This record gives sequence, structure tokens and C-alpha cells, in this order.
Amino acid sequence: MSKDLVDLDGGQTRMEVAYGSDDGDSDSMAIVAKKEASLGIIFEQNYRPWNGNLGPRWVRNYAIFRHHVFGLFTSKGHRHYNPFVRLTILVIFLGAISPIAMLFFASLFGGGPDGFIDKMWGINRSNLWGQVLGYFPRNLCYWPLLTALVVGGMISDDRRNGTSAIYFSRPVTRVDYTLMKYLSVAVVLGFVIIFSYMSYYTLAIVFKGEGWAFLIDTLPMFLSGLLCSILLVITYTSIGLALSSISQSRFFAAIAFLSIIYGTKLTALLVEAQFGSSILHILSPYDCLAHIGQWLLGLEMNYSHSLSLSIVSLILMNAFSIMILISRVTSLEVTRE
Amino acid sequence: MNEDSKTPAILVENVSKWYGQVIGINDVSLAIDGGVTGILGPNGAGKSTLFKLLMGRIKPSQGNVKLFGIDPWSDTSPYRRIGYVSESERLYDWMTAQDFVSTLARLHGMTRDEANERTEHVLEFVGLYDVRHKEIGKYSKGMRQRVKIAHALVHDPDLIILDEPLHGCDPLARTSIMNVIREMGRQGKTVVVSSHILEEIERITEQIVILHNGRLLALGNLYAIRDLLDKHPHRIVITTEEPRKLASAFIAEEPIYGVRFPEEHKLELQTNDLSAAHSVLPRVIVDSKVSVSRIDNPDDNLESLLGYLIGGE
Repeated sequence: MSKDLVDLDGGQTRMEVAYGSDDGDSDSMAIVAKKEASLGIIFEQNYRPWNGNLGPRWVRNYAIFRHHVFGLFTSKGHRHYNPFVRLTILVIFLGAISPIAMLFFASLFGGGPDGFIDKMWGINRSNLWGQVLGYFPRNLCYWPLLTALVVGGMISDDRRNGTSAIYFSRPVTRVDYTLMKYLSVAVVLGFVIIFSYMSYYTLAIVFKGEGWAFLIDTLPMFLSGLLCSILLVITYTSIGLALSSISQSRFFAAIAFLSIIYGTKLTALLVEAQFGSSILHILSPYDCLAHIGQWLLGLEMNYSHSLSLSIVSLILMNAFSIMILISRVTSLEVTRE
Repeated sequence: MNEDSKTPAILVENVSKWYGQVIGINDVSLAIDGGVTGILGPNGAGKSTLFKLLMGRIKPSQGNVKLFGIDPWSDTSPYRRIGYVSESERLYDWMTAQDFVSTLARLHGMTRDEANERTEHVLEFVGLYDVRHKEIGKYSKGMRQRVKIAHALVHDPDLIILDEPLHGCDPLARTSIMNVIREMGRQGKTVVVSSHILEEIERITEQIVILHNGRLLALGNLYAIRDLLDKHPHRIVITTEEPRKLASAFIAEEPIYGVRFPEEHKLELQTNDLSAAHSVLPRVIVDSKVSVSRIDNPDDNLESLLGYLIGGE
């Protein structure tokens, strides 16, 4: 076949059509496949050295922190958060700041200092305590669920996938790795818990048009509540990350955290109801925090056991959790490969 | 090349590692600096233990491991100059290659702009530039291996450690990865690569380290090591219609000390000096006027070398 008859670049070629019906036979044309399939790739492998200077430790640590927090908002982070998880976190945040909306409505509709809205959501010892340590809905639903969702895959995903090798084959120490994981969780929890608390206090003053005297009166209470919220974030982060570090399953870490929070509370409640003793509440992280919070805000104590037992228990819980976390991160990747 | 010429990139001195009663590495000493070096050995030879020691994952039971003169177990600073491709490590499948590699560049301390610019370059270098905005989870195995190599190169390391980088790759991906490894060696970087596919190591480098049962069996140039094996003579197999006539011509030549006829149309020459034997080969064949269809060196390769070393232990 002559070259003229064959269009190697594709298109049509004149040829004898050996098999065919009426259509097409008359013009002796046939269509050949275009040469679109690629049989190989040749690419330029020109490597260009880089002469820049690598940043110091804090730049690397910020990159770890950013990588973990970023995942909540985009799909570029340590973990791919399901849209439903993101939505749940948003709902929790909106729930946490809902008293602000009530205070706003109260400011619109008026009402004196003894009004219903002011009693329910205004600034006072009980409400400041309740904004952080109130059982329903915050410590029954919001904070444990939020922690479970955030800590779930924080270390367990690295353990399962071996992605911790990505960090440890870089100039990242295990201390930096642990601290940045801890900080990432604490910042997310802090954003919802502490930020909502601070917004609540600040906007309550703004909406009610309170002056300096009110601020001076309530500031110590606010700071006590702030300390409570920091303690809560630290405790939940410590326990959550410890659970995440002992497992390869994000589901285990989340469920185990919820089990600890609800299980200890339920056990203590049952024992208290049966025997009239609140001593088992020292096993419950929430009750220890609530007990300390009541003392810090000068509220009447709901617990019959000594405050010092709750303080010691809370310290031990945090110390034990951090010890587990350090131990597990130290062993991370050592036996892999 | 290492900036400090007196300090090799990798220095392993009398290192042993025991896992209880099991020996991982037994009194291994080696120094590697510059060029591509292949780490070879069967399963359980100690390759993974050696890499774990180099990457500071485990502490030697005995001896010293130094990367650029620094113990990686106690100090992570050498990792600023090291790129590591792990065999087992998984990637963030939901991220694009561009996002993934630039994130890891920032873990080395690069700024965002530096990381993005450098990421584009290394992805282009490994042939993934056109698909850099595609999620890694949608990549083939070969492309994923190239992403690993890209993230190991993003900070322009002086030492690159690759653990089975060709594992599971198709021929095209293997070729491109081998090109990358050779190019890094040409750039004067120290590249250490392990593989159980000996032909591929042969295509990448002649500089090898052979481990077996935790012990260092051989270190150096593949062919130099082969020449040291006196009790395993080199063989040259010639395929011809007249093997006996050709054998009579060869037997008089000094480098040839023995002949065999393994098959009907094959002549096997035995020699201790392969290059001298090859130098007389053309003349003898021409003089004998025998038609030769094929000449092979069946044991002048890594596989037979490894077989001799391990079998002759």
C-alpha cells in the first residue's frame, strides 16, 4: 500500500474495502483509528539543587500544628474529616454559643435583672460554671462528643498507617510530635469551649451595657471559670490522646473516651444513689472538674467527699494519661517495618 | 557529596543489634559516602534492621551509628540532610501530590512559597507534574512510589535512603525510578537503595553491600568482589555447532584452565581471569573458523555472586 493511501496521523484512507455492504463501498473510504494511545513517557529528569536555608524548630512545629488543625476545614490535613463530623462540630460550637443569642434577645426585649432570661443566661456564678461544667447539654453531649471526634484518629491513624514515619524521618523529635499533637487537639477543644465561654462573658457585658463596676465584680468569677475551662481542655485532651495512642483504630479511641466519661459518671451515680457516698465520683474526670469548679467559683458543693481527693484524682488522671501517651509515642515506629 | 570530606555520610562501626535471642545485625562495620550503593540480602538478612538503625528507630545493642558524624538515635539534626523512602509507609490518600509534598517540605522548615516552588520541581523531576493536583489515592503503585521519592527529595538532601523503592512498580515506573536514582548519584549525592530484585540493582549501581544472617558478607564493587571468589571460577558459555573443535582451540590458551560441554551445542570455558579470557576470545574464534551464535557469562552477575557468597558461607 502506497504511503499516499495511508494516513498514519489518523483520519481517512483510500483502500479497497474487502468486506462491506452497500454503504461505504461506493466511495472506497475507510476510517482508521487515530494514533492517540501513548506507548510511553519520556520526561526530562533534570534535578536542580536547592540552596535555601531550612527554617528552625518552631517553623517545623508550626507545620505539624497547621497540618493537624487544617484538616478540620479543608481536605489537606492529617485526617480527612467526614462532612458529617464537621457538621457535628459546627453544631456543638453553635450550641456552646447559644446563650449569647439568648442574651442578645434579652437585650432587645428588655427585662430587669430578675427576669427569666437574665436568671437563665445572665452573668452569675452558676451560669459561668454551667457554661463550662454544666452537665446537660455541655458535659453530657457537647464536650465528650467533640473530644471523641477530634482525638479519634490523631495518633491511632499514624499508628495504623505508619504515617508517623513521615515525621520521624525528618528533624522532628518525638517531643515535638507529641506536643504539637497535644496542642492541635487542645486548640480545637479550646476554640469551642474556651472561646465560647469568653465570648459569652464579653458579649453579655456588651449586650447588657454593663460598666466597669460590673466588670470588676464579675472578673474574678470569670477568671475562675476560665481556669476551669482550661483544666477541662487539658484533662480531656490528655485522656483522649492517651487512648488514641494505644490503639490503631480511631473508633476505639472515640468510644473508649466516651465510655470513660460516661461510665465513671454512671457508676459513681449508682453508688451514690445506693450508698449515699459520693466518693466514687473521684473516678469520674467530669465530677473532679465539676467539684473543683464549684470550689473555684464559690458555689455550694454537690459532693460529700473532700475537695482534695478530687484535686489529687484529677492530677493523677492527667499524669497517668500523659505517661501513657509518652510511652506509646516513644515506642511508635520502633517495631514497624 | 558530603561537605566534610573526613566524615562519611554513613558510618557504622561494629554495630550489633539483638532482639532478645534473635540477632538482627551482628558486628557490622561499613562506611558509605557518595554515589549509589545497593544493599542486598535475602529476607532476614538484616537490611531492615540496618535501615532502622540509620533512621534512629532503634538503638544499637553495641557499636556506633553515625550520619554525617552524628548519632541519629540521640539527635534528629542529621535528618535535615536525609531523604528517606520507607517501604511500608502509607501516604495521605485524600491529599493531592502537590499538597502532600509541600506539607512535608514545610515539616523541614520551608516557607510556603519555597515549599510550593520546590514541590513543583521535584514532582516534575519524578514525572508527576502533570498529575500533581490529583489525589494520591487515585495514583497507581508506581506513581505512589514516585510521590515517596519526591517527598524524600524535596529538601534537597545529601543522603537518600530508599527501602525497596521499586517494589510493586510496573516496568515503566521502575525505569523512571531507576533513572531518578542514577541521576541523584550523578549529582554527587549519597544514595543507599535496597532491593531484592538483583537485576535492578545491577542496572542502578555496581557498588553493593551484601548482608546475610545479620552479618556483612561483602562490600564494594560488584565485579571486584566477584573476582575475589577464587573457588568459584568464571564461566563463559559459547553456543556453537562445533563445540569440540572450539574447545581444542581454547584449551591451549593460558586464561582458560578447563572446558565442559553442558549441552549438545554448548561449550563452557572456565577461567579465573574473566577479562583476559574475553580478550583472547575473538582471536581464537576467528582462527578456529567456527561459527558462534551466542556468548554468555552466566555467573558474572549479582544473583550468582549472592548465591556463591551465601552458599559458600
